[in-house]
Amino acid sequence: MPVRMRMEQAVARAVAGATDAGDAYTRALQAIAEALEWPLAAAWEPNAHDPDELGCVAIWAADEEGPRAFADLTRTLSLRPGEGLPGRVWRSGRPVWITDAALDAHLPRQRAAATSGLHAAVAFPVRSERGLVGVIEIFGAQQREPDAALVAALEVAGAHLGQLVERRRAEGSRHASEQRYRATLQAALDCVVTMDHRGRVVEFNPAAERTFGYRSEDAIGREMAELIVPPDLRESHRRGLARYLAGGAPRVLDQRFEIEAVRADGTRFPVELAITRIDVPGPPLFTGYLRDITERRRAETELRESRARVVEAGDAARRRIERDLHDGAQQQLVSVAISLRAARDRIADDPIGASALLDDAIEDLAEGLAELRELARGIHPVVLMEGGLEPAVRGLVRRSSVPARLLSAPAGRLPHAVESAAYFVVAEALTNVTRHAAGATLVEIALTRANGRLVVEVRDDAGGGADPEGGGLRGLADRIAALDGTLDVHSPVGGGTTIHAELPCAS
Amino acid sequence: MARRVLIVDDHARFRRIARRALERDGWTIVGEASDGEEALHAVRALEPDVVVIDVGLPGMSGLQVARRVRDEMPELLVVVMSTRDSADYHELAVASGARGFLPKAELSSAALAALVSD
Repeated sequence: MPVRMRMEQAVARAVAGATDAGDAYTRALQAIAEALEWPLAAAWEPNAHDPDELGCVAIWAADEEGPRAFADLTRTLSLRPGEGLPGRVWRSGRPVWITDAALDAHLPRQRAAATSGLHAAVAFPVRSERGLVGVIEIFGAQQREPDAALVAALEVAGAHLGQLVERRRAEGSRHASEQRYRATLQAALDCVVTMDHRGRVVEFNPAAERTFGYRSEDAIGREMAELIVPPDLRESHRRGLARYLAGGAPRVLDQRFEIEAVRADGTRFPVELAITRIDVPGPPLFTGYLRDITERRRAETELRESRARVVEAGDAARRRIERDLHDGAQQQLVSVAISLRAARDRIADDPIGASALLDDAIEDLAEGLAELRELARGIHPVVLMEGGLEPAVRGLVRRSSVPARLLSAPAGRLPHAVESAAYFVVAEALTNVTRHAAGATLVEIALTRANGRLVVEVRDDAGGGADPEGGGLRGLADRIAALDGTLDVHSPVGGGTTIHAELPCAS
Repeated sequence: MARRVLIVDDHARFRRIARRALERDGWTIVGEASDGEEALHAVRALEPDVVVIDVGLPGMSGLQVARRVRDEMPELLVVVMSTRDSADYHELAVASGARGFLPKAELSSAALAALVSD
């Protein structure tokens, strides 16, 4: 068999058995070199980051010192078009035959060739559908005159090799891309469900398995509408798909919307959904990305309600202030005005009477001031801001109509929002005892700071049965939740009431 | 001269102060009421000459009480009072049949006399 055929077969066999493009080159180089009994072959391609620079991508050397040393040197080189043997072929696109590389002064590697015992050198283009994609050079141990037949054979081999390597590369990159896609799907937090044009499931990722309660092997092949679309929406889904396939304009593709889905156990739940069409040869596929938004809806509702409560609490507080002012301090001042007027009217004729009226006025004025002070304290206790929790709570204890005792208080100041919340818990708790806890004889208050939290406990010895949703406590619960704290009311009937609040405060 | 007075107000303190201010100058306080129902009973039972009524009563408003009192006993003199903004009340008071309106803080023997005299 002629060398040419032997070589072609060897190259084809070599590439077929290769694991990737690099391996294909190396095996092909070995096949070529061994077929010709030449000790060295190298493959060159342009660098990915600079197409004007050729780098050696694969090299095969016979197991001898000279060729191995030459190979080591060759691996380190990068050549420009026209430079060296590969560069010349790269620029011209034509093979080059050098009778004796050791004697060719134009070759950058002349000296190395001489010391390595390499003489004849042939370089030829590697071509694919894209055109010139690389260069292969081979070196022989003897001088050799140009052999046109061999050159022709090598060019053919170069063309085959180019196509084979290119195909290998495409497969490899497709494979890598598939691997990446699979990995993304497996790890995705959102459900990814793909169906074909008949509405049957072709893909059902792990998130979908978890969310809907089907294993993917049970879902694939089933009609998607039957699995995850609520019964009353199935017909509309099927009609929509049929209409779209018949040429109708897309109504639901590539937009995000909220809809209901159904689990394997029949429970419905809200999802956010986006559907996209996948362009593949043949009938289309559709992929839906679904997210269970049950939790989000719940949180939105809670937020809305909590905000409404906050606004209402503010309005209620203002109404209370207006009423307290009207019923309290304003009435006092009215009395003062009347008494002063009456005193003025009689001061000439009845100074003693006038003086008595002035005494009334002074008394009413003092009461009015006390009312205003009390009101201001209820709005914003200054002692809390200036002195901290302990003096402020001691003030509450002092003014409480039911006997109260402060058992413990933390030393040092805390963040203002925490002190404020704790103060109002105690104030509200004491108010509740006064208003609702018939038979209470003692209220005990404990404030302790531990593990980055402030614990507030108010305990009374009355009959229990307090309503934890009662207005004052509800407002407090919101205020405390806003600080990431907790409020618990323990009020067994007949057992007294304990209010327990915990507020995070970075220690 | 009309000197028998019924005081109608839901604040006990005000009733006390008003009584004190007026009694010193010879007015006779025949009674007190704290809402519309009590006021109507008192008017029938005690037959005052003058009724001073706070606008802000619980239940029936002071203006409604004024109208009812005047309907039942047209010869009664009614004076309407309030701590709230007085600017709007004068017209309303007169429309309800009262002699006039008096801000509470301005209550004095002289002021009342000025309103109820002819």
